[in-house]
Amino acid sequence: MSRTMRKRLHQALTNQNLQTALQRRRLLARPFRHLAAATAPDFEPLSREIHRVKEEAIASLPRLIEQFKAEAIKSGAHIFEARDARSANDYVLKVAQQHNVKHIVKSKSMLTEEIELREHLEKRGIEVRETDIGEWIVQLAGERPAHIVGPAMHKTTEQIAELFSKATGQKVEPDPQVLLNVSRRALRQSYIEADMGISGANMAIAETGTIAVVTNEGNGCMSTTLPPVYVAVVGYEKIISSWEDAMAILRLLSRSTMALKMPVYISCITGPSWSNAISGVAQLGGQGPTEVHIVLVDNGRMTMWESADFKEALYCLRCGACLNNCPVFASVAGQTYGYIYQGGIGTILTAFLHGADKAEELANLCLGCMACQKVCPARIDIPRMIKRLKAEFVEKRGLSLGRRVTYGRILKHPKRLDRTVKLGAYLQRPFVDKDSMIRNLPYPLNSLTETISLPALPARPLKTRLEGYRLPNSGTRPRVAFYAGCVTEYAYPNLGEDVMRVLREYSAEPYYPAGQACCGAPALYAGDVKTAISLAKTNISALEEGEPDYIVTVCPGCAVLLKKEYPELLANKLGWSERANRLADKVRDFSQLILELAPSAEKKPQMGKKVTYHDPCHLKRGLDIQSEPRQLLAQEGFELVELFDADTCCGFGGQVVLDYPELSGSILKRKLDEIEATGVDTVVTNCVACVLQLRGGLDKRRSKIKVVHSAELLAQQAKPGI
Amino acid sequence: MTLATRELIERFTAEAGMAGATVYEARSADEANAYILKLAQEHQAKRVVKAKSALAQEIGLRDCLAKAGLEVIETDLGDWFAQLAGDKTLGLAETASGRTPEQIAALVSKAIGDKVKAEAQAILQTARRVLRQSYIAADVGISEADLAIAETGTIVMLCNEGNSRLVSVLPLIHVTLLNSDAVVPTLDAAVVRLKSLARGKSDGRWPSYVTYLTGRNTTGDIPEALMARAQGPAEEHIVIVNRTGDAR
Repeated sequence: MSRTMRKRLHQALTNQNLQTALQRRRLLARPFRHLAAATAPDFEPLSREIHRVKEEAIASLPRLIEQFKAEAIKSGAHIFEARDARSANDYVLKVAQQHNVKHIVKSKSMLTEEIELREHLEKRGIEVRETDIGEWIVQLAGERPAHIVGPAMHKTTEQIAELFSKATGQKVEPDPQVLLNVSRRALRQSYIEADMGISGANMAIAETGTIAVVTNEGNGCMSTTLPPVYVAVVGYEKIISSWEDAMAILRLLSRSTMALKMPVYISCITGPSWSNAISGVAQLGGQGPTEVHIVLVDNGRMTMWESADFKEALYCLRCGACLNNCPVFASVAGQTYGYIYQGGIGTILTAFLHGADKAEELANLCLGCMACQKVCPARIDIPRMIKRLKAEFVEKRGLSLGRRVTYGRILKHPKRLDRTVKLGAYLQRPFVDKDSMIRNLPYPLNSLTETISLPALPARPLKTRLEGYRLPNSGTRPRVAFYAGCVTEYAYPNLGEDVMRVLREYSAEPYYPAGQACCGAPALYAGDVKTAISLAKTNISALEEGEPDYIVTVCPGCAVLLKKEYPELLANKLGWSERANRLADKVRDFSQLILELAPSAEKKPQMGKKVTYHDPCHLKRGLDIQSEPRQLLAQEGFELVELFDADTCCGFGGQVVLDYPELSGSILKRKLDEIEATGVDTVVTNCVACVLQLRGGLDKRRSKIKVVHSAELLAQQAKPGI
Repeated sequence: MTLATRELIERFTAEAGMAGATVYEARSADEANAYILKLAQEHQAKRVVKAKSALAQEIGLRDCLAKAGLEVIETDLGDWFAQLAGDKTLGLAETASGRTPEQIAALVSKAIGDKVKAEAQAILQTARRVLRQSYIAADVGISEADLAIAETGTIVMLCNEGNSRLVSVLPLIHVTLLNSDAVVPTLDAAVVRLKSLARGKSDGRWPSYVTYLTGRNTTGDIPEALMARAQGPAEEHIVIVNRTGDAR
């Protein structure tokens, strides 16, 4: 937890203008959400193709760089390779000075933001005008872009009107059409006056030495054609092999950015303009630029390229889809991140382009909800890289004292954890209300109950209640080991008992392997790989007891560890790898297992009871399970009212709920608003952590809406007495 | 016309329409000319800038507009020189070949009322300056698509001078002429065609500018709405010229 980050988040969350702008944007995007690229059936094959294109291009980058340079030079362009920001900026300045440039028009480019090119030129008295309308607004405000593609998405119309009034010296009304007309007129004049144009590149095509600039406003076209000198500032990672590859990227680029099938303008520029109308021989300088300079920028990219773990970040198309789907970004927008690139991918880029230390507090903002990964048109595994980044911080500098004790000394040892919880159960007594909820904890724990009410720790955890369950011995019924996980164990033991009851009803033999411990998720997601490995081994040994046919969980977060992370963590550990894989095969989510046990269960008649369903992140995106819980509801006779953005994180993910409760609370607020908007009185979910968060949030609101786990719902449905 | 072409045109029309362009299919030269003239008149247009277009020449578009009192300026340098010379027959690739720099300098000097040196760069700079004013003052820009892509409703324009980009982005109204034969099904098919076109033109040199234009320019930068007409034209019209006679 960083205090300055807490403060920054607080400022963003209480900034009325920012929150108004974000709210308006959400409303605007709402009708288009279903068009989002990731939900279309062709998204998967198209994104796989983009991944292939980028993978191959990055793999053969050194060769493609040479090819691009050779072709660009052949077309008449000048090439300069810049190691860092300084050399790139100096080169552009030199070119500007050689041509006695006074006015520059610039198309939007994140790279030039990264190297602060505009500031560099302005300091030398050259006027630089941003021509993307959003970027111009941000320039007038003296700020940094709040979003890769929507730089001014954090501004309200009123704020923009104020900026325009100041810039034009005339009163501008806060009407969108007026604002658009003012910007068009002002910018049009700039193109005509400019003696240099600067742009970035969406793609650089090696086979012809071509720069491709994508815009919807038309500013890219004008800033690259009207001025006599044109400079393209291009990151090495933008180089791709061919025009065919460019088409693959174009198929998803604008869909990912703003649900447009294609960008309006794709300007492909190969060398300077020329004409042979005068002498029959090509003369440089037709009606576009006479001189074209391409500045290829490294600035940390080649270090990324050399890193096996982070190379994939170079596949990024800067489309912004990950930001549009990031719950944290939706709460605070991009400037809160404090550097040029925002969100999850921004965290990785920041680590390489600005320094690893700067990325650490950004990594801790990640909920681990995986929404970014699922919408990325290049299929970049952002969550994996963030996890890796955190592990590197810990490898380099070790854990904080608090975490070292919590993970290494307590979490790792089930008995110590039991004792700690027991102590907590004793200490909590003055703060527990009659209904076993904790609504106000004293300082320094007060932030924990700021946005949610907590369930009181029960006097007896689950394990003491299940001592009566013996190992399976029927020999005929499926043996199901129940892996409870900490939330069920220490907060919702009743739910654990429900699981056992329902499983027996479904003719299984459930049992509770005694040696189980915390799955290790808190440690792993904090970068403490050592503790995670130790817990993986403890749990594998424990869950082999009784030779189960299945291992069932009610916490998808735990399930992801057991099923996906353990085999990865133990991949190179002799003897363990195989055991981890064997375990992984047996792991089932509760809803999944019920359907497997009773595949042809008769559907109960509709009873007219409406419920809504919240998709837990780790269930839907971690385990790809979304239809099973819904099928179960239908089977039990419930009518499902779909929740808007049902699969958006509830705010419990990662360390955010502990480190930045205010942020978690704002994410939770949107979820609860959506739940209330359905008008139903019951929300079902399939994750005990989500249950804890949603129940706690609804309690704070004094809402009557009930939150139930599928297991509880089925237990209620079951005949009493079983 | 084959059924396949018919399907391509229909898909193209639907997609371009969805992206914000207005597509009109003309079955004859007269229909095409009449549509464009009416469009210009509806907007009280006075000045038209035009990029190189074999199709426009074939259907006699410039004459049609000029007769109605519109000022039409050719922006391809070769075509412009020819226009200054009062030459109606424009070749396709190198309009000005056959004219010496001295002759061109004389034409340009006369047009602007100022002496221009008979040197390529001097002529080029003057032409650039003069034509620049034409784009800015023009109400309508006319260009021809070298290719069109059915699956996305995209038109593709190739040029080396940069004029077709300026014609398409600066004026209030942009009209694209499209030969019905130039529609290909997919982005990938367009690359194949583009590569053969590009290498075939201009001595195997890749064209300086390849512009893909889909629908009408927009912006999402002003909050509260995705707004049409950002910085480019207010209207995008695509006139498909289908001279095969059996459009339906």
